[in-house]
Amino acid sequence: MKNLIQNILFFTLLSITNAVALIEIDITEGNREPLPIAITNFFYDDVDAVMLSEISNNLSDVVEADLERCGLFDPINEEAFIQKNAAMHLRPRFEDWRLIKSQALVTGKLKIVDGDKLRVEFRLWDTLAEKELEALVLITTLDNWRRISHMISDKVYERLTGEKGYFDTRILYVSESGPKNQRIKKLAIMDQDGENHRHLTSGKELVLTPRFNPTKQEITYLSYFKNLPRVYLLNIETGNQEVVGDFPGMTFAPRFSPDGNKIIMSLAKDGNSDIYVMDLKSRVVTRLTNNPAIDTSPSYSPDGKKITFNSDRGGSQQIYVMDNDGRNQKRISNEGGNYATPVWSPRGDLIAFTKNFKGNYAIGVMRTNGEGERLLTENWYQEAPSWSPNGRVLIFYRETPANEDGQGHSSTLWSIDLTGFNERKIETPQDGSDPAWSNLLQ
Amino acid sequence: MQFSIIISLLLHTGFIILTVMGLPIFNNQKIDIPPIVQVEILEITEQTNVPEVSKREIEEKEDSEEKKEDVKINQPVLKPKLEKSDEKVKDPAADEEIIKPEIVEKKSVVNMPIRKPVIKKKDNFDPLKIAELIDMAKDTKPIQDVKDEEYESLDSTDTLVNKLTLSEEDAIRSQFLRCWSIPIGMPEDDSLVVKVKISLRPDGSLMKPPEVTDHQRMNKPSQKYFKVLAESALRAVRRCDPIKTPAVERYDDWKELQLNFDPRDILR
Repeated sequence: MKNLIQNILFFTLLSITNAVALIEIDITEGNREPLPIAITNFFYDDVDAVMLSEISNNLSDVVEADLERCGLFDPINEEAFIQKNAAMHLRPRFEDWRLIKSQALVTGKLKIVDGDKLRVEFRLWDTLAEKELEALVLITTLDNWRRISHMISDKVYERLTGEKGYFDTRILYVSESGPKNQRIKKLAIMDQDGENHRHLTSGKELVLTPRFNPTKQEITYLSYFKNLPRVYLLNIETGNQEVVGDFPGMTFAPRFSPDGNKIIMSLAKDGNSDIYVMDLKSRVVTRLTNNPAIDTSPSYSPDGKKITFNSDRGGSQQIYVMDNDGRNQKRISNEGGNYATPVWSPRGDLIAFTKNFKGNYAIGVMRTNGEGERLLTENWYQEAPSWSPNGRVLIFYRETPANEDGQGHSSTLWSIDLTGFNERKIETPQDGSDPAWSNLLQ
Repeated sequence: MQFSIIISLLLHTGFIILTVMGLPIFNNQKIDIPPIVQVEILEITEQTNVPEVSKREIEEKEDSEEKKEDVKINQPVLKPKLEKSDEKVKDPAADEEIIKPEIVEKKSVVNMPIRKPVIKKKDNFDPLKIAELIDMAKDTKPIQDVKDEEYESLDSTDTLVNKLTLSEEDAIRSQFLRCWSIPIGMPEDDSLVVKVKISLRPDGSLMKPPEVTDHQRMNKPSQKYFKVLAESALRAVRRCDPIKTPAVERYDDWKELQLNFDPRDILR
C-alpha cells in the first residue's frame, strides 16, 4: 500500500515536472507567399507514346496554369527538376524536391485502357513530411483530358487548402461589342480558364444578368421581348428556352434557389419593385416584400433559409437580409455610401456587394450580420460580383470611361481572391459584363 | 418544260430557306457546347501509400482497382520485412537506369542531416498500419482529449515556468515567418490553433517527427481546415529544421518545445 502511494506520488511529480519543462511558443505570423509546388509531366509507356505524349504535356500545363492562377500556389519551373525518371511516381526522392524548395509534388501516369480510354493515375506528395497526400485514378475518353486536368487541379487545391476547388467549372457572362450606345450583347459561356468559349444567343435581343442553376445545366437571365424585360430559362444542353411566368409588369434580377427548384426575382409594377419567388415545378408565385421602395437583387443563403436583397426604403440603396418567407427584414449595411448587388457566399459566411462611395465603386465583403466590412478592390466603375463555388474567389466586371470622342470605353471581367489579393483580368474574345460562376460540373 | 422545273425548284428552295429562317422553332438552335463527359474516379490512396513497393505488388493493386471492389478486401498484404533490414528491397520499377540505392542514401545524408535512420524505420515500416502512415502526426502516446478550454487557455502560462527569455522566444518565433506558409483565406474559427510538440537535439535538429497534440481532430471529416492547418504547421517545422536555438548549455530548457500555430489574427 505504502509502495503504491509512493509510486503515485512519484509519477504525479514526474508528470508535473514534465509539464513545467515544456515551453510554449505562439506562432502567430508566417509567410503568405504562394506554396511552391512541382507539377511533373505524367509518364506513359512507350507503346502509347503516339497518343499520349501531347496529352501528357497539355495536362500538366493546364494543372500548372490552374494552380498558378488561383494565387495560392507557385508552380516551379520544370527546368529546375532534378528527378525526372518514372520511378518518382511510385516513390519520389523527396530530398531532390526539397532542394528546389518544392513543398508539394504532383506526379502521374497515363495509360490507354480498353483500346480508347484514358486512364490517369495521379499522386500528390508532401515533400517535407515525405508522405502521399492523395492518389486517384480517373478514367475517361481521350478527348476529355482537359476536364481531367481541371479535376486534378481541384483535388490538389482541396487537399492543400481544405476547400473544394473551382477549376472544373464554367463561367457565364454577357459578351459585348459595338459602340457604347449601340452595344450588341450576347450570352456567352466558357470554361473558367477561358477555353471552350461559345455564344448562346445571337445578339438580336438585349440580355442581362445570366445565372446558373446550381443543380442542372440550366441558366436564367433577363432578356427584352417587345421592349419588355422578362426573365427567361434556357437549358444549355437542349437549347430549349422559355419565359418564366406571365407577369403584368417587368421581371428582372433573377437567381436560382440553392436547390435549383425556385427562381427569385424582382417584379416591377406601377413604379414599385418587389421581390417574388416562383416555384419552377408548381409555377406558384409568392410575393416576399411589399414596400413602396425599390427592392431588388435577391440572393439566397446556401441553406436556402435566408435571402439578402437590395432596397432604398431607408432613403439610400442598402443591403437587407430576411427569412425565406419574407419575415424579419433587417438592414445590415451601415458603413455609409450606397450598396448594391448583394450575393451570399456559397460558404455561407459572407455577403459580397458593390459599394458606391466618394465617386468610386468598390467590390467588398461583409459578414452576414453586416459586421467586418472589407473592400477588396476600388475603381472608376465595377459591379456585379459572383462567387466561385467554393466561396474563395469573386468574379466581377469593370468598365473604363469613354473619352470625349466616345472612344476608349471597355468592359472586362476580373477576379479577386477573398483576401483582396490576386486580382486578375479574365481574358474574353470581346468585352464582357455580368459574369456568373457555375458549380463544379457534375 | 425544263425551264418550269428549274423555276419550281428555285421557288421551292427559296420557300424552304424562308421557312427555316423565319419560323421560331428553327431558331431554337442547338447550342454547341462540349458535352460534360463523365469521369470515373477511383481512390487508390490506401492501396498505394506505402513506401518502396515492388512492381509485382503494384500490378496486383492495379488489378484490384479495376475490379472496383471494396478497397480493403483487395488490398494486398505487404510483408513487414520491407524496411527492417538496411538492404533495400529490389524494386524492378527502379531498374531503368535510375536511383541506385547507395546514391539515395548518400543524398539523404547530405541534404538532410537531421534525419536518423532510426526515424526512417519508424516512418516507413509496418505497412499493415497504413492509416497511421498516412497520418504522420500520429504517435504512440496516449491520446488526450482536447477540450474547448484548451484553446481558450492558449495564452495562459500558469502551469508553465517560462525558461526562455522573450528575445530567445522571438528568435525562435521569427524563424517561422519564413518557414510557415499560412493557408490563407480559411473561414474564421476561434478553435483553429494547432499545437505541435517538438523534441530537439543539441544542434537544434529534430530528434523525432513533430507531433500534433490533437492529432485525433486531424482525422475527423468535419475538421478539414484543422487538418490543412496542422499539415502546414508540420511542414513549417520540417522546413525550419534545424532550428536556431538558444545556447546549448541550456539544452534542457529547450529540448522540448510546444509550438502553437495560431492563424486567428491572420484570418480575421
